[in-house]
Amino acid sequence: MKRVIARTAYMVIVLVLSSIAVFYAIRLSGGDAVAARVPASASAEEREAVREQLGLNDPFHQQYFDYVGSILSGDLGNSLTNNARISTLIAEHGKNSLILGVAAFVLVFGLGIPLGLLASLRRNSWWDGGIMSFSVAGMAVPNFWLALLAVWLFASVLGWLPSAGCCGPKQLVLPSVVLAMEGMALTVRMTRSAMLENLNQDFVRTLRAGGLSEVRVVVKHVFRNALVPIVSLAGLRIGQIVGYALVVETIFGWPGLGQVLVNAVLRRDYPVAQFFSLVLIAIVLLSNWLADVGYTVVNPRLRKA
Amino acid sequence: MTENVHHAGPGPGPLLSIRELHTSVSTRGESFDVVRNLNLDIYSNEILCLVGESGCGKSITALSVMGLLPTPPVRVGSGEILFKGTDLLKLGKRPMRKIRADAISMIFQDPLTSLDPVFTVGSLITEVIRAHRDMGAHDARELAGDVLAKVGLPDPAKRLDSYPHQLSGGMRQRVMIALALVLDPDILIADEPTTALDVTVQAQILDQLMHEQRERHMSMLLITHDLAVVAAVADRVAVMYAGEIVEQAPVDQLFDDPRHPYTQGLLRALPQVTVKRKRLDPIPGLVPPPQMMPPGCRFSPRCPHAIETCWNEHPDLTDTTDNRIFRCFNPQPFTS
Repeated sequence: MKRVIARTAYMVIVLVLSSIAVFYAIRLSGGDAVAARVPASASAEEREAVREQLGLNDPFHQQYFDYVGSILSGDLGNSLTNNARISTLIAEHGKNSLILGVAAFVLVFGLGIPLGLLASLRRNSWWDGGIMSFSVAGMAVPNFWLALLAVWLFASVLGWLPSAGCCGPKQLVLPSVVLAMEGMALTVRMTRSAMLENLNQDFVRTLRAGGLSEVRVVVKHVFRNALVPIVSLAGLRIGQIVGYALVVETIFGWPGLGQVLVNAVLRRDYPVAQFFSLVLIAIVLLSNWLADVGYTVVNPRLRKA
Repeated sequence: MTENVHHAGPGPGPLLSIRELHTSVSTRGESFDVVRNLNLDIYSNEILCLVGESGCGKSITALSVMGLLPTPPVRVGSGEILFKGTDLLKLGKRPMRKIRADAISMIFQDPLTSLDPVFTVGSLITEVIRAHRDMGAHDARELAGDVLAKVGLPDPAKRLDSYPHQLSGGMRQRVMIALALVLDPDILIADEPTTALDVTVQAQILDQLMHEQRERHMSMLLITHDLAVVAAVADRVAVMYAGEIVEQAPVDQLFDDPRHPYTQGLLRALPQVTVKRKRLDPIPGLVPPPQMMPPGCRFSPRCPHAIETCWNEHPDLTDTTDNRIFRCFNPQPFTS
């Protein structure tokens, strides 16, 4: 319990610090938000008026506190480019991102763990060799390159799947597989090594000496022990999915949070870029928090003696 | 302690009889015997100690009986392990599983690593019970609590919900004993059960084991390298060297009149309170590795009494006129 409270406090602190960092970084990144709001023919006075109206002339900390104040009062503000309400943008695109993210998450663990199990139980077989080669490739190929290869093969050459679009099952296949690939490869390796490590533990011999069936020993006891490191790093896997979503959504034209964020940054749309960054940070922090709590659940050694 | 002594010959047959057991390790295509032509009988209601230094094949012998050898690379080559007349080596996986814990149990050296860390003591014992008996969860848990109380674990009802890491080394070993005895087996194999424990706890655990053996009238095969333990608990002793039994005798005879030079060396290497000596008297040299066994007697390179024959011929276990069993061409009287 103490651990959970400490983790929660830690999460809040990191969230505040990263909100300052995001706020500052966007203002340091150069470019001019005003340019996006006024016609190119606007005079210097007109530009200055817009700057003043947006509060861009206030000192940095003043802007930050105004911003935090308005977020806390529920006003997320509007996009500078098309004046859409940010809360509406979040709701619309968040749903799409959630679909993609959950699909990737299911692939990472729902496919990664069984493949790792198979490799560990058929060690040094063709199964093991094949799965491990696949896993090395999955870790080595950068996802943007994999995305392009996948589009080329499955969309252009074979014509099996659409290269882009949203949000049916057919359009979901390529982006979710690409998004999940690296996490899945890591999960396969980790499952395999954790299983092999635990299969060699003394307690396995004790359980066999107790007359338990091999299936029970492996599935209930060895796998349960192997889950400890897998769950502890689940937060990292989710963080990976969130981070890679920026690239993958952009390549596949998947209208999610990542795509909106990338466009907002390119157009100096401060309010959108700021808030979307914060949302992504919050998701990563929250998933790490969940993994920490989950780790305490699967590992009784961390609970109070 | 001597009323349970059995000698070879007429009388009730052994409960467990290991016949001409060969167990080998394969590495890089070559195979070496780590247990060679081993014959050992365990009678009901006795404590048999298997003694020898590390690597002499004691644990491998025990794991061969349990069918728990790490295969590959270790496997039984030939022989018979007869339990109540059934050859355990010929049993299928499922019937062998039924033997484990129910008829023959085993406890291991290190109680810290020998218990699954993510399950409670109660659930581990309950699982073993329910693997063998058609018993509801509630009854099994009750039985688990009873056996924990019997093996002297303080506060057993509370300990059912403890995880292994919440217990001390001695308490963990008591849990191991409970796990091994919950189904009332005929034979308990204890492989160095006290080696990993504090000295004070060692005595308590040994007492508990002896107490359980007497209460349950079971047989115990106690594997140890500690001769003080042997002297305290054994009815009979088998001494192993380099994968072979070199001497076998009731405990009093073995300590009073050891015949094999290796046994004599082991006894001489013991510190004694009554004899004032500047230094202990170790056996010179090392156990040869299995791939470099001498052609004659396996102890000959380290033996003070080795003669020509010892280097060339392999001695058999001799059954002498006074009913002593040892493996030596040139036995000498023991001088301490």
